[in-house]
Parts: sequence; C-alpha cells; structure tokens
Amino acid sequence: MKFLAIETATPGASVALVEDATTLAAASRIDRLGHATFLVPAIDFCFHQVGWSPSDLEAVVVDVGPGLYTGIRVGLATAQGLAAAFGIPVVPAVSVDALALEARTGHRTIWTVVDVRRGEFAIARYRPVPGGVVRDSSTELVKPEVLRAQIEARPGQSLVVGDVAQLPEGLLSGLHRAKMAKPRYPYAVALAEVGRGRYERDLYPAPDDVRPLYLREPDVTINWAKIRQEGPWGSG
Amino acid sequence: MNPTVLAFETSCDETAVAVVRGTEALSNVLSSQVDLHARFGGVVPEVAARAHVESIRSLTHQALNEAGVHPADLDGIAATVGPGLVGALLVGHSFAKATAWARQLPFVGIDHMEGHLMAPRLQFDDFAPPAIALLASGGHSQIVHVRDWGDYEVLGHTIDDAAGEAFDKLARVMGLGFPGGPAMDAASDGGDPAAVAFPRALPDRPFHFSFSGLKTSVVTYINKAQKSGDLPPLADVAASIQEAIVDVLVNKTFKAVDETGARVVGGGGGVLANRRLRHRFAEEADKRGVQVALPDPVLCTDNAAMIGVAGAHWLSHGRISDWAENVDPGLALT
Repeated sequence: MKFLAIETATPGASVALVEDATTLAAASRIDRLGHATFLVPAIDFCFHQVGWSPSDLEAVVVDVGPGLYTGIRVGLATAQGLAAAFGIPVVPAVSVDALALEARTGHRTIWTVVDVRRGEFAIARYRPVPGGVVRDSSTELVKPEVLRAQIEARPGQSLVVGDVAQLPEGLLSGLHRAKMAKPRYPYAVALAEVGRGRYERDLYPAPDDVRPLYLREPDVTINWAKIRQEGPWGSG
Repeated sequence: MNPTVLAFETSCDETAVAVVRGTEALSNVLSSQVDLHARFGGVVPEVAARAHVESIRSLTHQALNEAGVHPADLDGIAATVGPGLVGALLVGHSFAKATAWARQLPFVGIDHMEGHLMAPRLQFDDFAPPAIALLASGGHSQIVHVRDWGDYEVLGHTIDDAAGEAFDKLARVMGLGFPGGPAMDAASDGGDPAAVAFPRALPDRPFHFSFSGLKTSVVTYINKAQKSGDLPPLADVAASIQEAIVDVLVNKTFKAVDETGARVVGGGGGVLANRRLRHRFAEEADKRGVQVALPDPVLCTDNAAMIGVAGAHWLSHGRISDWAENVDPGLALT
C-alpha cells in the first residue's frame, strides 16, 4: 500500500511517503507559521525523490490534532484536496498517538504533551506493549498542574514526551520517577505508522466525516445584547 | 483560449466553489455561514474557519457535478489568496493547491478584490478597461479606476467604517438584525428616502468615504424624535439612512466616471446587491450615456465564480503561482 502522511498539528511540519511498513521519503520543517508554504513543495519533493506520480497514492494519513487549529486545518484541507482528486481515503490519526509511538520504550508509562495554547496542554497516557504502545486514557486538555498530579498518582516509571519545553519550569521537580524525553513534535513517519494500523483495520470514517480534533469550542460568547437589541420600532 | 478553471473562495464567511470556462460560470455553489454567525452579531474567524474545512470537499464535488465537468477536463485551479481572515483563507487555498498538485494542473492565487472587479465579465461581454468600479462590502469601500486588467488605481476609500459595516451597525441600532445590508434594504420598502436628511460625510474629498459619523446622527435623531413623539415610520427612517449611504457611494463613483472619462462602470461586494444603489447606478449612467455592468446580486456578494473568471484570465496570460505560495490576509490592490 502506498500512502502519504501529513503532519502539521504543531510547529513541526513534516510529510512522509510510505509503502507498506517502509518509509521511502520524508521532509520536515520547524516553523509555526510556515505550514502552508512547506506542505505542497515538500510533498512534491518527496514524490520526485521516490519516483511516484500523484495517482499512485492509495490513501492519505493526516494528523487531525489535538494541536494548533490553523495548522491542523492546513493539513486536513491539503489531505482532502489530494484524496478527493483520486477518490482515495483520508485516514485521520491523532498527534498524541504519533508522539507516543515514536517514544516507545520497554517499561515506562508514556505521557504525551501537545501545547494547545492559552495555558493548556493536550495529554494522553500510554503503556508499552511489544512492538508499540497502547493508549490507556482519553485525550484531554489540562493545565500543567493536572499533568503533574496525574503522573504523581501513577505508580512506576514515567516518560513525558512532546512539547515539554513549553511546560512551566520545574513542573516535575522532585518527581524522580518521571523523566522528560524526545520527540518534541509528532513526526509524519510515526503518524504514518499510526495511520497504517487504522487503515488496515478499516478504522477510518468517510472523507466528509473526517474532522479536526479541537477538544474546545470556539472562544466566543453569544452576544445577546447585539442580537436582542430592540429598535424603537420593536425587534427585527 | 478559454481555460476551464475550478475556483475556490474562502476569505470570510462563505465557502464557495465554482467552475468557470473563460468568462462563463458553469457552476457557482456556496455554503453560507450567515446563520452560524448571526447569533454572535458578526463574523467569528474561528467559527468561519471550522465551517470551511467541513464543507469544502462536498461543495467541490457539487460544483463539478453541476457544471458537468470531469476533473480530467480542467485546465487549472484558482483560489483566493487574500485579503481576508487568515484561518479562513488557508482552508480554500490549501485545498486548491493540493487539488492542483494532485492533478498536475497550474494553480493561481487570486486577489479577492480583483475577483470582485472581474465579476461583471461573467455577465457583460463588453466589460473591459478602462472602467470605474465601486467595491463595497462589510470589509471594504473603494473606488477603483481599472486602467487595464492588473493595473488598478484606487482613487478613494473609506477612512473609517466600510459601507457594509455601516449598514450592520445602523441595522443593529434600528433592531433589524444581522447582516444589516439586506435587512435595511427590506425595511426601506415603500419608505421615503427624503423623509430625514441625514448628513453626507466628506463633501470636500471627492473619492473618499466616511461612515462612522452616520451612526451618531441616526442615534441622536431617533432619541430626539422619540422624546418629541414624532418618530416617522420605520420604512421612512430606513430608506433615509440607506439613501445617506447610497448617495455618497453613487455620487463619488460617478464623479470618478466623469473625471476619468470611463465609458463603463461596474462594481462588486455585498453592498452592490442593494436595490436602491442599483437603481441609482442605472439612473446616473443613463444621464451620461455610460454602460452599467453590475452583475446579479449573487455575483456581487462573495462567490467563487469571480475568482474563477480572474483565474481563467491570469492562467491564460501565463501567470502561475508557486506551490510555496502563502495566503496574504492584508493584500491590497495595486
């Protein structure tokens, strides 16, 4: 199976071309605002390197978040455009899974952290199994103190990966069972592996139903004053 | 050469996709978010961007189906590159670039305002430079001298609120709801546009507009009229407010026609859908014997057919955007 993985949910953007379990080409760039300028040129580069033509694609894997909304939408819109052109599936994968898969270790509980701004982080917990990881929690948005409390409450050794540099300094100080590690950002190669698993087990929705995983409502409040304001002639 | 172009417009609150062949719209579909934003009293950027990414794929399918065009018959892809809301622009632009790359078709990014300038070509074969065009919407109000395609002189613009923004604010004062332009147009039915003489701003600056003072005048007038108990009927006040906005837009546009000697006058933007403005445009043009090229209201408000006609124009002139092109939220006509 030939597929493309698109990762733009964090400041680290990357793409990978994968055939079955083999990565044939990948490109990456760290630039929070540059996803739209990076993505298609990077895809074009990788296809040229590998010698594929666009119509060789059989599926597109895309990171639907959690992460930076605009980046996620650039990735998803690009994936939708590519997939719609050939009528192939869009396989959604989540950022925290890609991080955990890349960080897999022998024994530690893995915590993945994605900065979603406004003082909150998307976190999820994983347990290592032979050949991979299994998610043991839902993905939730929390304040850093909650992450610390959860790690503290968990017996055994922990590995915290992802955008840990954005966590408050000293958040895990004194917590010797936990250590921080790479990767900082999810990478398209790991995302491809997550997506391949879902594709092979038919665990993906119809393309029109692939949605970003925002985990938050838009930050607006309904302005009742503006809506309900009645004019001198009554309400409109 | 009449290239067949698939075009996308997502600069604000309409997700729009069209198929255009040369200057003919084969399809022109959109998913309006008006109802989505009405409860917030204005367009919310994050809400707009979310809605775009949810509907763009199925709208593309619909646009191709309605046009009866197979993707293999396309000659190029166009998308709005700016100005607009960055998160909204990126959805259409990214989807368009990916579609173009997948089919190995040329892609061109189009200035939204140039799209409005070229929209009359969809319905008026002889709409060509030199021309004067009025662009007026919720975000812009400007008079443009179209010296040639791609050679635009902005003669004047608003120094504060856009005309559409003025309609929104005034409709709110009157209790008419959002968006204000269509609401004011409807409320003016049967009203006397001369009932109340609201001020016309900036008489000394031939092509510039100012609309922010009008709200104060209207509020002051209504308060006084309510106190004295002689508040005129809603239709008269609405028609008078509408006239105050339309009057300056039309008079200054036709002053530009007179000064440049242009023989054709066009326009675009949601405010150009206003019935009173269209009527006044026709009147003023008749007096001078110049041609009016105002497209149907659906082509004045944001749409993708206008991006398609501009895209077809530039692609046939060999303009192709780089795959690395980014959106430009602050893009201005030059």
